[in-house]
Amino acid sequence: MKMTLKISDNILRNVEKPSRYTGNEWNSVTKSLDKINIRFAFGFPDVYEIGMSHLGSKILYHLLNQREDTWCERVFAPWVDMEEQMRKNQIPLFALESKDPIKSFDFFGFTLQYEMSYTNIINMLDLAGVPLKSSMRTEDDLFVCAGGPCAYNPEPLAEIMDFFLMGEGEEILNEVLDVFKAWKNEGAAREDFLDRISKIEGVYVPGAYQVQYESDGTIKSVLPNKSHYPERIKKRIIKNLEDVFFPDKIIVPYTDIVHDRIMLELFRGCTRGCRFCQAGFIYRPVRERTPEKLLDLARKLQENTGYEEISLTSLSTSDYEGLGDLTENLIKEMEPLKVNLSLPSLRIDSFSLDLMEKAQKVRKSGLTFAPEAGTQRLRDVINKGVTEEDLINSVSIAFNGGWTGVKLYFMMGLPTESFDDIEGIADLGNKVVDAYMRVPKEKRGKGLSVTISTSSFVPKPFTPFQWEAQDTMETLREKQRHLKGMIKNKKITYNWHESQLSLLEAVFSRGDRRLGNLLIKAWEKGCKFDSWGEHFKFDLWMEAFGECGLDPHFYANRKRDFNEVLPWDHIDVGVSKKFLQRECEKAYRGELTSNCRVDCSGCGAASFGSTICTG
Amino acid sequence: MGSHLRSKFTREEEVKYISHLDLMLVFERALRRARIPIAYSGGFNPHPQMVFGLPLSVGVTSESEYADFEFHAEVDPENFKSRLNANLPQGLKILEVRERKAKGNIMASIAIASYDIFVYLGCSYDIIQERLKELLSKTTIVVQKKGKKGVKDLDIRPMIHKLHVLKLSKNEIDEKLNSKFIDLDRIHLNEDNGIYCIRAVLSAGSNANLKPELLMEAIKEGLNFDINTLKIHRTELLVGKGGKVYNPLDPVVLLGE
Repeated sequence: MKMTLKISDNILRNVEKPSRYTGNEWNSVTKSLDKINIRFAFGFPDVYEIGMSHLGSKILYHLLNQREDTWCERVFAPWVDMEEQMRKNQIPLFALESKDPIKSFDFFGFTLQYEMSYTNIINMLDLAGVPLKSSMRTEDDLFVCAGGPCAYNPEPLAEIMDFFLMGEGEEILNEVLDVFKAWKNEGAAREDFLDRISKIEGVYVPGAYQVQYESDGTIKSVLPNKSHYPERIKKRIIKNLEDVFFPDKIIVPYTDIVHDRIMLELFRGCTRGCRFCQAGFIYRPVRERTPEKLLDLARKLQENTGYEEISLTSLSTSDYEGLGDLTENLIKEMEPLKVNLSLPSLRIDSFSLDLMEKAQKVRKSGLTFAPEAGTQRLRDVINKGVTEEDLINSVSIAFNGGWTGVKLYFMMGLPTESFDDIEGIADLGNKVVDAYMRVPKEKRGKGLSVTISTSSFVPKPFTPFQWEAQDTMETLREKQRHLKGMIKNKKITYNWHESQLSLLEAVFSRGDRRLGNLLIKAWEKGCKFDSWGEHFKFDLWMEAFGECGLDPHFYANRKRDFNEVLPWDHIDVGVSKKFLQRECEKAYRGELTSNCRVDCSGCGAASFGSTICTG
Repeated sequence: MGSHLRSKFTREEEVKYISHLDLMLVFERALRRARIPIAYSGGFNPHPQMVFGLPLSVGVTSESEYADFEFHAEVDPENFKSRLNANLPQGLKILEVRERKAKGNIMASIAIASYDIFVYLGCSYDIIQERLKELLSKTTIVVQKKGKKGVKDLDIRPMIHKLHVLKLSKNEIDEKLNSKFIDLDRIHLNEDNGIYCIRAVLSAGSNANLKPELLMEAIKEGLNFDINTLKIHRTELLVGKGGKVYNPLDPVVLLGE
């Protein structure tokens, strides 16, 4: 049966960037339908340029296509102009490689990278003609699943997804597909498949769990309906990063994407333990690749893509021990091929500045620093091991080296924050300007520009601040106004983030499964592409809360008791709740916790048996 | 062997939605995959030494594109062709490669471009044929051209060298318009099919340039029926030299004889 859709010129001529929808890129994978058993649609709930920039999706796309029995294709959220054309011409959501309707696939898997992409998931399911809720799907429907960092609190999407994959996907995806193949051959019932995969560690089938609530709206319990489902679902990790699959070819897009380069993943996890940072806890423990392995990967990827740039990625690249050797060897090999090396923002010292100068013949314009808080007291609360002296030393080195632009990132609304801390941000900005002035005129570059940016703190699950209240929008606005008033120096520019979006992020990051209806309601009212300023419709969201009888402040601005059952308590990321509570208490006492490499603080991730924990 | 090569290539349906700038990046990456020793410019931001003929509008296909390449070592034309073809995506194919000794790159010397414009009309062949004759009999054809500085009046008559219309058989339609992007199912063919090919030879290049889309605007002007452009396909590019036009791969052009 030929199902392929015609995405005709009449449609493509009427949309911007038509090459978002035409596929056929170098290294994209096409397979013959009579040679495969499993069709997997890999959904990224945002536009092509963003989805194509995501490293995890690239890894899993090529991993799945390694299987002879499986064809994995890509699906991105069509931009609003394309959606209009598709709905007008009755074109259902299609896969980029084959142009076949998603409905005819076996799986529709989403990666959850940020909460504000959830309405796009609903929209994509609708465009595909797939029932929005798991409970509405029948034997003829495909399976809808999700993974990625936001899946660690799966509850807001619990009624949408048939199952979740917790943790790193390289092994678990293959295990699920093996079970699927056997199940499909037997022609067994839909529910039977979910039963079978629930036995795989890391698989969460939310429909098999019952949530009971207390009279105050908090959760009483989350328990499986059936005895053979696990009470807690433990995330999966790849213990040995050196030998795990990493693609040696990646798709080279035709149109400019956000990160249009080879991304070399140095390590997973982070040893620092900044208390606001979810990535710092959910990806524990740290696992590294050797410089030799990375060099080999870089070589192959470069040969197979022809890319002109390679970037190093990880949560904290300065912490990679072999960084000096690796960059030196990469530069030596890649320079003759006219391939550049780009480094992420490093902790600035003379070593890293030297490295940056060698790597990119960069214009000495902007350097980025993230002190996160304005005073030492508050930086200790969040366990950000950076002192004012560190910062001033770093910028002084940079100014002496000819750099003239400094961006400083801060978070507003951190636990225990007072107006003194807000004023501290302005002070720090002034001290950076002073450091520039202290550099002799003939040594420093011309035209200093200091940018201070504040984002609003969003408490995240599986962090020591998971119990904290987010500041109300009124408080955040007052703090922003106050800081704006404090910044008088003309060399300093102040930018801040809109607090409305942060409120919704806080709702969804710590939400429960009652938010599923809210999500559908907001989408029905026209909410989608919420992370795109021009499409964010806060008023419609507030209407949706009202109609669903839900209070955003219950989720965002309420401080939780340590004893409260949290919506994600049945998920086990390895880091224990006791440890997080201990960290929270230390935060309030302003006590620091040391880096994993220096001293083990007993977070619980040692249960995964990685070398950094066990020695 | 040579350190300067000129190549002729096709750009088919699969890659017609790529912008000219993105196409250059496609070639740059393909050259790097093929490990072809392309020369780079000096300076802060080195770029590969390649020059393309006349940019194609987004959505237009071609069987006759040209690009000049410069290398930092001697390269065999046939070897270049096979290595690059092995590294180009579907829809781009090098047809022919010749050594270039004469100065003057392809972009600077383009003079003429020929197009097949496939249209679907709500009228008979006779009417469109009449319309084209009438146009050609005029001494001036003034159209409005939208440029960066607003709308300007432009006489396009001197830039039209040949213009006529052909009927297409069912077989020709199947062969030339069989594309995953062209939706023939929506078209109800009349007795002579209703699909015609307007064949146009137009001025092109930096001195005078007439895009086929603008020509179509002029043809549509004053007609009381719809012209639906199904496909624009470039069939030929010619370069000018000493008042004459030549194929860009002609030895007269490449060797400066």
